[in-house]
Amino acid sequence: MKILAVCGMGFGSSMVLKMSIESVLKSAGIKADVRTADIGIAKSETADVIVTSSEFSKLLQNKNIPVVVVKNYVDKKEIGEKLLPIVQGEKKGS
Amino acid sequence: MQLDHLLTKETIRLQVRATGRMDVVQKAGELLVASGNADARYIEAMKHSLKTHGPYMVIVPGVALLHARPEDGVRQLCMSLVTLDPPIEFGNPDNDPVSVAFALGAEDNSKHVEAIAVLAGLLEDEQAMETIRHSTSVDEVLQIIAAAQAGE
Repeated sequence: MKILAVCGMGFGSSMVLKMSIESVLKSAGIKADVRTADIGIAKSETADVIVTSSEFSKLLQNKNIPVVVVKNYVDKKEIGEKLLPIVQGEKKGS
Repeated sequence: MQLDHLLTKETIRLQVRATGRMDVVQKAGELLVASGNADARYIEAMKHSLKTHGPYMVIVPGVALLHARPEDGVRQLCMSLVTLDPPIEFGNPDNDPVSVAFALGAEDNSKHVEAIAVLAGLLEDEQAMETIRHSTSVDEVLQIIAAAQAGE
């Protein structure tokens, strides 16, 4: 399971997001490879799920990858509610 | 590198009056330059990033994490913190207005990971963030940051 945390530059905001995602997955007992990427790389990368903010989600809509939009990068509740159903759904399908 | 080594009396300014979001970047960026850890062009790079990518850097309600790329003028890992009075609109539909801005100068993709981890923990602590938002004492803010670092 590969998850991409996307922001403008791939190492600031997306790193905060990656940490929150990893924490949420750990609590749920789910193993995944979480990486950060800037928007340029994200357009050509493959992943099972992309997590980002609303500005970038618009730029990533044309890929066949579920895009999870997060408003608050440290709100684990929000991230859990939005990400876990997709991750668990992906796992069942694979 | 630890958060409480990066955020010090020299790199924190409280209750700053800014004229707009670019001025916020200017003021937070000037602290990085004054510390000797970033070139003046890094401030321009952060402004450019804000213009190009939009206000995605407002990652948590009321909080902005300003940064550009290492090659845009970072000499050494550095961070600054400004709190804003009044809060400033950055154009982020979900998380505006900004009352706390961190500016980050990263050297590469890894050295700042520890500091970001502590910063993420601090951002999650709503009570700590509220205190920082309204504080007029740098010592008080330093104590909160030290506690966040110790808690990690």
